[in-house]
Amino acid sequence: MKFSLDEWFVVLLARTIRPAETVFHGFGSPCAQVAMHVARRTHARDMTLIEGATYAVNPDPRFIPPTSNDASLQRGAAYSMRFEEFFDAAVRGDVDRMFLSGGQIDGYGNTNVTGMGPSENGFKVKLGGGGGGCNLAATIRHLSLWSSRHRSGRALVEECDFITDMGHRTPSGDRAELGFTGGGPQWMVTELGMFDFPDGHARLTHHFPDVTVDEIGAATGFELRVAGDLRTVPPPSSAELSALRAVDSLGVRRSEFAPAELERVFDHDPAIGCAC
Amino acid sequence: MGLQPLRDKVVDVATAIAGVPDGAMIALGGGLSARLPMAFVRELIRQRKRDLHLVGSAHSIDVDLLVAAEAVRRCEESYVGFEQDLGLAPAYRRAAETGTIEVAESCCVTILAQLRATELGLPFLPVRGVRGSDIVRLHPEYAEVTCPFTGEVLVAVPALKPDVALLHAPLGDRYGNLHLQQPYVLDERFASSSARVVATVERLVSTADVAANGVTIPAHLVAAVAEVPFGAHPTSCYPEYAYDREHLSTYVKAAQSGGEDLAGYLKTYVYGVADEQEYRELIGSKRLTELARWAQSTADWKGLFR
Repeated sequence: MKFSLDEWFVVLLARTIRPAETVFHGFGSPCAQVAMHVARRTHARDMTLIEGATYAVNPDPRFIPPTSNDASLQRGAAYSMRFEEFFDAAVRGDVDRMFLSGGQIDGYGNTNVTGMGPSENGFKVKLGGGGGGCNLAATIRHLSLWSSRHRSGRALVEECDFITDMGHRTPSGDRAELGFTGGGPQWMVTELGMFDFPDGHARLTHHFPDVTVDEIGAATGFELRVAGDLRTVPPPSSAELSALRAVDSLGVRRSEFAPAELERVFDHDPAIGCAC
Repeated sequence: MGLQPLRDKVVDVATAIAGVPDGAMIALGGGLSARLPMAFVRELIRQRKRDLHLVGSAHSIDVDLLVAAEAVRRCEESYVGFEQDLGLAPAYRRAAETGTIEVAESCCVTILAQLRATELGLPFLPVRGVRGSDIVRLHPEYAEVTCPFTGEVLVAVPALKPDVALLHAPLGDRYGNLHLQQPYVLDERFASSSARVVATVERLVSTADVAANGVTIPAHLVAAVAEVPFGAHPTSCYPEYAYDREHLSTYVKAAQSGGEDLAGYLKTYVYGVADEQEYRELIGSKRLTELARWAQSTADWKGLFR
């Protein structure tokens, strides 16, 4: 059996979720959304999964549609939160993890989903916007970041043109100085490798086997810190791949990647057990 | 403001929109590409409204179309776009990059706090986040406040009181009782914080029928109601119909290309149709029936997203 980079990427995102956590994804984030359903069907069956725009709690969708606000994402949910019910839970500290991405991400895990610039009118490129991020990033316990455009050299930057969602440190201060109750970015998964945030700054802990550390360094705008025990990313299990293929039969996760990344295919070793 | 008396509030869409002044702060119901008040949006454009201040959470073609028609002065949403699927909102993006609209991008939590301040009759409410985010730079009206009990520094956000809320619901009665299917998004908050609430509904039914389904927004908050089947098209209105991805894609392509292509979309689907009945005829009963077939089987439902 073979599997593709987008599948491996989603499995790595799924593994950032711990059992029993309450987890949320932002809308328009198919990789994170699929990852949550994979986690709930493999190693984190007791997690509380909250859908990103329907606020359905633990739904069992037959497929993931290309829009986050669709009734197919409420199927099988015994309960859906109201908008304010979810955001209240998140700001008071009852949500353990949220997935966040951005057109730009800096070494402290600040993200920009508002706009590239600057220009005289404000933005050279106006992006969609941050949803609830600039409050939720302050209070949700852990953040799992991701970027599917690391290789472009424009995504992981020395400094964001605009900070929408706060990471471990902004020019206005660190999280303690800003009075934030959440822990900030814990992991960051890219199509090249995986980072953690010891001391509040990204550090490469894993790389994909078809990517070298030099390539990652060349694509990274901030100072690349590398873990002493750098490894290749752990392979997906059969259970994870089959959960992923079942829930994302429309392949919405693939919309996040450049076409060349989708060509990256790997051989699966059936002897590999479930990472759970 | 006062609550609305119990009386027959049925109007047509043109009459409901005629009461919206240029420069009004407008709250848009629904979210992303679901249950957006598109019949009202089209009518705002037909009546050539100008300088609108739009407020909402995460939106798509409603905001983009109003910006494309040059009806908007200020955008205060948490997101405007078509997600990963169809990408950035072309007209909104262009207007933000050329400076023809004021970008007052906000956050779902902040807007919620600002509406709640109005509901509570308070001048502001504090939020814990936002500090350290450049979103603050887009909002000189925010201030910092020190909690008198704990000494914590929080961000004070002023009460937000929309002049008009435009909502769309699957069911309603003549008095303005509305039934919605979740997610309600901010519709309930808009209904109790806006000076005037007007709604379109897929079907006008008896009060007993609305009550049997559950009243989400009560008549005493609603000033006018119009019956408009497929009034959210091309966005979804469950349980009636799914969104029209093909139509949204047609719009996004026209808006990306701009110029004559975008003008052509507006001419065909907005200026060129006198009312919503003509709009439905233009889209065609074949297509509308397909969108309503989502409930027949998983294959039918999934087929709408391919």
